[in-house]
Amino acid sequence: MKRRLILTLLAAVPLSSLPAATTLEQAQTRLRGAVDEVLDLARKAKDKNTLMQRIGPVLNKHISFDVMTRRAIGPGWRQFKPDEQSKAIALFTKLIIRSYGSKFTIGVQPEVKYQSAAAPAAGRVDVSTTTQYQGSRYSVVYRLEEAEAWRTTDVVIEGVSMVANYRSQFDPVFKRGGVAAVLSSLEQSAGRPE
Amino acid sequence: MKQTQLQYLVGGFVLLGLGAVFYLTVKLGSGALLGGDTYQLEARFASASGLNKGGSVHVAGVPVGRVESIRVDPEDFSAIVTVTVLSGLKLPTDTMASIKTTGLIGDKFILLSPGADETNLSPGERITLTESSVDIESLIGKMAFGSLDKESESEASPVP
Repeated sequence: MKRRLILTLLAAVPLSSLPAATTLEQAQTRLRGAVDEVLDLARKAKDKNTLMQRIGPVLNKHISFDVMTRRAIGPGWRQFKPDEQSKAIALFTKLIIRSYGSKFTIGVQPEVKYQSAAAPAAGRVDVSTTTQYQGSRYSVVYRLEEAEAWRTTDVVIEGVSMVANYRSQFDPVFKRGGVAAVLSSLEQSAGRPE
Repeated sequence: MKQTQLQYLVGGFVLLGLGAVFYLTVKLGSGALLGGDTYQLEARFASASGLNKGGSVHVAGVPVGRVESIRVDPEDFSAIVTVTVLSGLKLPTDTMASIKTTGLIGDKFILLSPGADETNLSPGERITLTESSVDIESLIGKMAFGSLDKESESEASPVP
């Protein structure tokens, strides 16, 4: 009886550290898959228009645009009605996809090196990477959260968070003109040619 | 007689002044001048470079607290900063904490940007959506003198 108890305890020790490791691995695997998919698209695209058309569905699959939009708009989000929230998410998604896609130069492949990963909270993983692109090296941290699957909710480039950057821009717009001003600002930004 | 009264008056005034200085020292030291009760929160940063104990915590440019302590997490070597904020201030769980600089090379402080979540951070809870301090000096250095990576890496970059 005593022996069985000891054996059970011994078996439980390595298992107790398993969930954290598995969580990190799952998030990292998901991120690697997403990055590979995007890089593959960029490599195969013959021109920028083709890339812009194809990159949207891939980013939609791997980025949680609803969480990203809510956080980017900040406290004002609570005053958005459901239809206004849907409109804001659609516009913000369009803005990010267009802005992200425009950063690619056809024929130049970025190289992504994966570094450490940490789980700062339950259901959250931060993956640190360095991206080498057009002769420069950037530190990029992907923040992933688990809902149905692991999806990116923020990107921190050289210490600057994309969500924080947009929040600092949307917050004064909301305080000045409310929901209508934020939607109008999003419409202008999303409709502006890159 | 008049001389003695004056001496007592001056002595009393000096004692009152010293008492006021002592009171202010104690109050400033404990941060009680922030105005009433406070609660603590933690924030995890990749780097808290330049941030000091006693540094201020702002929301929308208004001081609402101060940095209580800064330590290193022995597991992942990140910086864990403990801050106290006014208890009347309810911060959503997706609040972001950024280390900012006053001016170009001024003191570092923490800026809290409240988010959109319905739930609020409880005392002792940790803010995980953070922005570390941006190293202005190294950015200026890269701009002024160029990056060592640039030349070697541009050659190494695979160009299809």
